[in-house]
Amino acid sequence: MKSRKIWALKGIIVALFLLAAPSFGAAGEPPATVRIDSLSHLYDGIDFDHEMHVGVEEDCSVCHHHVFGDGVANKQCARCHSDSKGTSSVACRDCHVEEPFTLEHMMKIEADPNRYHIDITGLKGAYHLRCLNCHIEMDAPSECADCHERTDIGDRFYRSGKYAPTGGESGGHHE
Amino acid sequence: MSGISRRKFLKSTVVAGGSAAAAMSSTKSAFAMKEFEGYPDSMGVLVDLTRCIGCRTCEAACNKEHNLPEPAVPFDNFSVFDQVFHGGKQKRRPTEKAYTVVNRYETKAQGAPVYRKIQCNHCSEPACLTSCFVNAYKKTKEGAVIYNADVCVGCRMCMVACPFGVPAYSYDSALHPEIIKCNFCYDKRLKNGQPPACVEACPQDALTFGHRKTLVKIAHERIRSNHKKYVDYVYGEKEVGGTSWMYLSSVPFDQVGFNTTLQKHPILDNTKSFLGIVPMVLGIWPAMFLGFHLLAKGGKGEKEDKSKNKVEVHGE
Ligand code: SF4
Ligand code: SF4
Ligand code: SF4
Repeated sequence: MKSRKIWALKGIIVALFLLAAPSFGAAGEPPATVRIDSLSHLYDGIDFDHEMHVGVEEDCSVCHHHVFGDGVANKQCARCHSDSKGTSSVACRDCHVEEPFTLEHMMKIEADPNRYHIDITGLKGAYHLRCLNCHIEMDAPSECADCHERTDIGDRFYRSGKYAPTGGESGGHHE
Repeated sequence: MSGISRRKFLKSTVVAGGSAAAAMSSTKSAFAMKEFEGYPDSMGVLVDLTRCIGCRTCEAACNKEHNLPEPAVPFDNFSVFDQVFHGGKQKRRPTEKAYTVVNRYETKAQGAPVYRKIQCNHCSEPACLTSCFVNAYKKTKEGAVIYNADVCVGCRMCMVACPFGVPAYSYDSALHPEIIKCNFCYDKRLKNGQPPACVEACPQDALTFGHRKTLVKIAHERIRSNHKKYVDYVYGEKEVGGTSWMYLSSVPFDQVGFNTTLQKHPILDNTKSFLGIVPMVLGIWPAMFLGFHLLAKGGKGEKEDKSKNKVEVHGE
C-alpha cells in the first residue's frame, strides 16, 4: 500500500513555501529572499522576495499574525492575543501543518473539547489565502504562473500544454 | 430489445410509479419517523465559497483520482464558466464524466465573481438511497453515500429523487446501466481515514475535511468571527435532514445557484407516500426489475449477489 504521505504529497498542487525560520540573523534582520519549494510538485518552487514585500507592507503582523509580539492586526485575534509575546519562530509551518486532514491531526485537534483553535488552515491553504487573497485585493499578479511555474507533472494533472485534450465531446453537461 | 426502446419503457414505468405514489399519499402518516441526527462518526467537507478562486484544481484532482475520461478542454481553461444550458438558466452540473464541477456566479451582492464547487452532498438521509428499489445505494458510517453498479437496474429513480440533481447516467453502454456520482473517494481514501482527492488538492483550503459535527462548529465560528463577511447560514446543516458536505457563502445562497426552498427534514418524509405503495408493489416490481436486471446483465451471464455490497468505482 502506498503510504499516506506519498498520496498527500502527490495531491499537493502548488509549491508550498516554508519560510525558513532560522534565517533571521542575529541582528534580527529579515531575510531578503526565501526559497519556498519544499513541497513543490505540480508547480516549481519560488524565491519569495521578502525584502520587496517588507517595502510594500511594513507591519509584519499583517502576514505573520502576532509572532513578533508587536501587536495584532486582526481584531478577532486581538481579543485574546493583544498582549501576546513574540514567538521563537515565525515559520508558518510551525502552526500550519502540511497535512491538515489526517486522522492523527484531527484527533489531536479534537482531543481538547475546550480548544478554541479548531480551524487552522493547512500550510498550502495558509500561504495561498495569505498571499493570493492580498494579491487579488491589491491588483497584484494573481495567475498561478505569475508566482510559480507549472511542472510537467502539473501540465499532465491539468491536462494542459502538451497533455491537452485531443478531441472528444463538448463537455460538461447531460440531462 | 434495443437500448432506446428499453430506456423509453423504463422512463414510462417511472412516470407510472410516480403517479401511483401520488395517488397513495394518504398512507403518509403511517410512516412517521423519528428525528435522525446522522452517524456520529460521519465525516464531511465544509466548502467555503469565500475562499474559492475557481481554479478547477479540484476538478482535475477528481478526474485523476478516478481515472475519469479526458475533459473537453484542459482544467486550466476557464471558458467552461461561460457554459449555460436550458436557455441560459442551467450552469454546468456533474456528469458521467465529471463527479464534480465548479461554476462561476456574478452576483448583485458582490462585485467579484463567486465560485461554487458542486458534487454529491452525501446527505445524512439520502433521497437517492430511499428511492432505490434494489438497494444500490449505501450510506457508510464515514458519511459517504456510495453506489453499487452491480445491482443497479438503471431505473434512474435516484436521479429524479436527488434534491441536488447529482446522479448522472452513463449512456456508454445501454446494456450496462450505471449511475455515476461523487463517492467521497470512499474506496481509495475515505474508508482508510484519508481526505478526498479534491480536498487535498485545493490550494485555498476552500474545502475543509473533518468530522461533520466539528465542521458545523467551525462553520458557525467562521461566521461569528467574521460576521461582516459571511451570510449567517450554513447550507447543508439542516437541508433535507442535513448533508455531509456543507457550504458557507458571502452572498445570499440563492444568488449562487443553491436551492434555498428545500425542506429541513429528510426527503424520506415525502417518499413515505411512495414507500406506502411498496408493500403493494413488492410482489410485482422486484420481479419486473429483476427481469430488466437480467436483461441488462445478460451479457455477463450470472446473477450478482446483492448482499456483498461491492462498490464499483467508475473507470477503475
Ligand atoms: S446529494 Fe443526491 S445523490 Fe448525493 S446523497 Fe444526497 S440525494 Fe443522494
Ligand atoms: S470527494 Fe472524491 S469523488 Fe467526490 S468530488 Fe471530491 S475527488 Fe471527486
Ligand atoms: S480547488 Fe479549491 S479554490 Fe480551486 S476551484 Fe476547487 S474549491 Fe475552488
